[in-house]
Amino acid sequence: MSTVLAIDTSTSQTCVALVENGKVLFNKSHLDPLAHGEILPKLVAQALKLNSKIDLVAVGMGPGPFTGLRVGITFAQSYALAASINWVGVCSLDAMAANIGEKDFIVSTDARRKERYWARYKNGIQITEPAVSKGIELEKFGVKIFEEGKYFPEAVAIANLGLNSSSVTEPIYIRKPDAYPLPDGVKFRAMSALDLVSAVGIEKDVYGKAAWSSAQFKEEFAKAPKNANYLAAEVDGELVGYAGIYFAADVADIHTITVVENHRRKGIGRELLKRMIDWARVKTADAIMLEMRLGNDQARPLYEHYGFVEISKRENYYGPGLTAVVMRKELK
Amino acid sequence: MALVLGIETSCDETAVGIVDDHKLLANVISSSVDQHVRFGGVVPEVASRAHLEAMQQVIKQALTDASVSIKDIDAIAVTAGPGLIGALLVGVSSASALALALDKPLYGVNHLSAHIAVDQLNNSDQLHPAIALLVSGGHSSILQVNNLATDVIVKGATIDDAAGEAFDKIARLMGLGFPGGPLIDKEALKGNKTEINFPRGLTAPGDLENHRYDFSFSGLKTAVARYLAQTPNYKKADVAASFQEAVVDVLINKSLTACKESGIDKLIIAGGVAANHRLRELAKQRCESAKIQFRIPPANLCTDNGAMVAALGSLAINEGVAASEIGISADSAAPVTQVVWK
Ligand SMILES: [Zn+2]
Repeated sequence: MSTVLAIDTSTSQTCVALVENGKVLFNKSHLDPLAHGEILPKLVAQALKLNSKIDLVAVGMGPGPFTGLRVGITFAQSYALAASINWVGVCSLDAMAANIGEKDFIVSTDARRKERYWARYKNGIQITEPAVSKGIELEKFGVKIFEEGKYFPEAVAIANLGLNSSSVTEPIYIRKPDAYPLPDGVKFRAMSALDLVSAVGIEKDVYGKAAWSSAQFKEEFAKAPKNANYLAAEVDGELVGYAGIYFAADVADIHTITVVENHRRKGIGRELLKRMIDWARVKTADAIMLEMRLGNDQARPLYEHYGFVEISKRENYYGPGLTAVVMRKELK
Repeated sequence: MALVLGIETSCDETAVGIVDDHKLLANVISSSVDQHVRFGGVVPEVASRAHLEAMQQVIKQALTDASVSIKDIDAIAVTAGPGLIGALLVGVSSASALALALDKPLYGVNHLSAHIAVDQLNNSDQLHPAIALLVSGGHSSILQVNNLATDVIVKGATIDDAAGEAFDKIARLMGLGFPGGPLIDKEALKGNKTEINFPRGLTAPGDLENHRYDFSFSGLKTAVARYLAQTPNYKKADVAASFQEAVVDVLINKSLTACKESGIDKLIIAGGVAANHRLRELAKQRCESAKIQFRIPPANLCTDNGAMVAALGSLAINEGVAASEIGISADSAAPVTQVVWK
């Protein structure tokens, strides 16, 4: 005798099945990408009315959007703990592929951010590990793609796989958490007149003819701390970057974020930007603006990540032929 | 008498407590705070992953500590809000599964009320009516608690940052680290609290009219930031002590005003910031001279834990509140007045 409670919450659908010795007693699903937490217990409560003596819990371990995915996994684990039975994890894409009778194909689910979770199968066997890619990349394989929407990881397939195949014990996240550590060994402090010599040197290296002069820095510092905030980043006592922001009439303007060439890609610019945004919030600014040189591809994704959007372009802003992109982030 | 298991996952602690009515049997906490130190703040996805990893082990440990079997549990309580939604969902889903598997009632409860309910552990003195000052990383409010399970009124709250948030930000500005509360508390012990006269938010006569029981810490934060920028050789300990004094002074004064004006002679201070030494000391002094009964949970029960959730579940059962339905929604912004989920 074996009764399996099967669960999958790896897609926009929540599904639950109850399979008793190969006989499907219950098989229901509900489509709502934001309601796994509410729907899952309700469906399980319905299933338990048919048979509450469960022997095994099988659960889809992803890949899938993290929040929904964890609802199913933590539920399955806790149920098993309370009922003193085992739980088993299954790759959700396998459960989606189980009912597809093609020889060579890809199954793919929505990974948000215009990307897909996917795996390729030949004769029912997974031949590439679950991955995340832009949808367009998948078309290059030239095989049929079965997508979430028409197809889903089915709970009955989860139950069958759970009884037969080797188990997946960890959630299949693929993506890393969207978090960034503070840069190591970098000290952030207020910028002062003592930094002028180094800063002007850095300006010349980074901006050439558009470099700020010592006098321009002094003028900016004079507005601090009431209307301006200039921060220095230093490594072993040496200035390696700085940023400045000016605030007047409801809008804060980031005047510069500069990091010397050999200290880029360490998160210094990111940290300076975060601190500029924090300061603007303290000042209760409605919005933050910044100008960026057109073609400055290193910084643009960073600004966009923190919610800046392009609002206009200014030609010849940095000198003849040098266009500035104006970006704005709303704080209210 | 009921054996209640409480689950808490609203922020970065995965916590399970077990209580038998007023008796605390187990209080197990697995914190992911060390993982967040590198980021200078709690990262929701990092916290949620850690909850899933720790959940089962924490439940098992709590059962072991309480020397009970999961089958003995009479009811499950869980924080259903407010908090980080992805984090809350791990706890709510786990609790729902336990309730279904055991066929026992589930109580989805408010995290903020649970901070107050922890007062009832190892203490059967009547809790309400009372004025409660609730101070934590995300909340600072003054509540009139007519009945903790059914009737809580908000008298005032912060209009900008929570007290705990202000501690975090000032600690960051001074390079003390994260989380800021305990670090400032420690630093302040070495400092002079009257060295710098930082502003007390919303205490001017006009503010007292419109924001009698409200708090504001953003002006204080700006004042500290300005002081730091203008004083190159500032003493961290003095800044910490003076800043802390400014926060604590306003919190207690407004709470006592609320007590006097609503004719309630009992003040409960709860929430993570209630672990602060100076707040505990000054509140005790001022309550004594104002002849107000003062209650504050032991410092180790002030920060987030599962026992407080179990305590609130237990209190709801004793007050005859109906259990929650299966399929409750975690609510990241649940108001403090929503104590037990329907
Ligand atoms: Zn809390």
